[in-house]
Amino acid sequence: MEREGFTRVPKNLQFRVGLLLGLTIMVAAAFLIYALYARGVFEATQRLTLVSDNAEGVSIGMDLTFSGFPIGRVQRISLGEDGRARIDIDIPRKDARWLRNSSIFTLERGIVGGARIRAFTASLQDDPLPDGAERVVLRGDTQEEIPRMVATLRSVLENVEQVTGASGSLQTSLDNLRALTERLGSKEDAQKVVTAIDRANALLASLGGVSRRLDGVVAKTDQRMFGAGGVVDGTQRAVEQANAILGELRESLKRVDRILADAQAVSGNAKAATQDLAQLRAEVDASLRKVSGLIDEINRKWPFQRDSEIRLP
Amino acid sequence: MSWVRAWGRALLFAFTAAAAALSFSTYTARTRSLAMKQVYFAAWQVLPGFTLFAAVLSWVVIQITVSLAREYNLAQFALELAFRVVVLELVPLLTALYVALRSGAAIVTEVAVMASNGELDELRSADIDPYEREFVPRIAAAAMSVFTLTVVSCFVVMLIAYLVMYGASPWGFNEYSRTVALVFGPGDLGGFLLKCVAFGVVVAVIPISAGLDATRDPRSVPVAVMGGMVRLFVALALIELVYLAVKYV
Repeated sequence: MEREGFTRVPKNLQFRVGLLLGLTIMVAAAFLIYALYARGVFEATQRLTLVSDNAEGVSIGMDLTFSGFPIGRVQRISLGEDGRARIDIDIPRKDARWLRNSSIFTLERGIVGGARIRAFTASLQDDPLPDGAERVVLRGDTQEEIPRMVATLRSVLENVEQVTGASGSLQTSLDNLRALTERLGSKEDAQKVVTAIDRANALLASLGGVSRRLDGVVAKTDQRMFGAGGVVDGTQRAVEQANAILGELRESLKRVDRILADAQAVSGNAKAATQDLAQLRAEVDASLRKVSGLIDEINRKWPFQRDSEIRLP
Repeated sequence: MSWVRAWGRALLFAFTAAAAALSFSTYTARTRSLAMKQVYFAAWQVLPGFTLFAAVLSWVVIQITVSLAREYNLAQFALELAFRVVVLELVPLLTALYVALRSGAAIVTEVAVMASNGELDELRSADIDPYEREFVPRIAAAAMSVFTLTVVSCFVVMLIAYLVMYGASPWGFNEYSRTVALVFGPGDLGGFLLKCVAFGVVVAVIPISAGLDATRDPRSVPVAVMGGMVRLFVALALIELVYLAVKYV
């Protein structure tokens, strides 16, 4: 049973076997440590809990991605007291800076592959997400969309079928067209139709010109009515002038009052009073003329308001 | 009924061998020397060749997996698939089968011949326990061979998986680590270890127990060898099946 006769045994057998065992154990231990490192055992993490009404497709070890990069891993899935699924995610501290208080989390399920949990952060200037935060996850489900899409598609197809069917409108139109082409048997008839179409085109072109001109007219009217220096503008200026003139008139009438009182009180000095009266009358006349002119001007510029009325005090 | 008895004998032998391995008197200088020789034959001699074989095989399988996955736009699952299929299933099973084919066949024949030509009876009559003298070193060597070859070839396969997936670029490391974390959880690693230990135990125990089935009649030797190899194959297949069923079903 001694096998040395058949197979040569090296002298440093003990060393070789020891080396082999040592190497094997070292590789196994190194791999174990690497697996622990890969699972984030040596990394400080913070916890985020996502709440969803359905955690279908979520599995432990799944990634939470941000901008397509995984930044966290699902550690635990449980059913909460309120009947909603709770997805606990561990996020390494160094990656947690991508998540803010305002971040949004979505759970999407595609047709191929498992579900995906994604994080979106609108502003990286917001407060950071605290440890142990709890957020509601928004769900999007392609598989749930498909039946709805199919239902819509079916109605579309039915419409198309109606349009293209034997009694459909498209068929009727085609029939009409066929009848028309059949009726246009001779070359003259065809020529007539072409001429008619040409005329209709010319008519449409001239109608287009008319409508363009109408557009111009409307624009001009607009300019005249409401533009700078337009009717409304002028009227406004006239009214301002009228106000000023009315103020002057009021002042003049006050003076008339005062002078009449003087005239009553001082009847002795008739010459002076008469002089004052003459001057006053001239002023009143001038004021009244101005008012009259103003009213004329308003009437001229404001054609829609004929019975303008100015009350004198 | 004979195969039930054969399995029963194998089980009984396993317990006896375990008891012998645990007894203090087994660890003599002679036993140690024989164990070292056996480890040298079963593991050291075949390590380069087997590692090369595992490397080439895994390179081809992983290359096919990755390129097909890329074609179908499923590249993100390629590495995980390679780990699960090649590293966790294919390489350990192939290693166990290889050691069974090489060392297992040699051991079952050796023990059957020893039983046939009366060597074992001579040992017993000289009051030497054949378990201590002959069996425990061989069991230890076969189990260690399975363990060593599995660890080294899995390590090489994982390196090859990285190279096939990312080339020589170091920037695939984070993604690679994430996949490793996903595939090699504590439960997965524990199950993998358990499976490897089971492979090692059956590869070590079943050939020797089958060799003991041989009688003084030289014609019983081929029957014992054949029975042992078939039982060994069935046991390996069963372990793999049970492991897969527990893990995925």
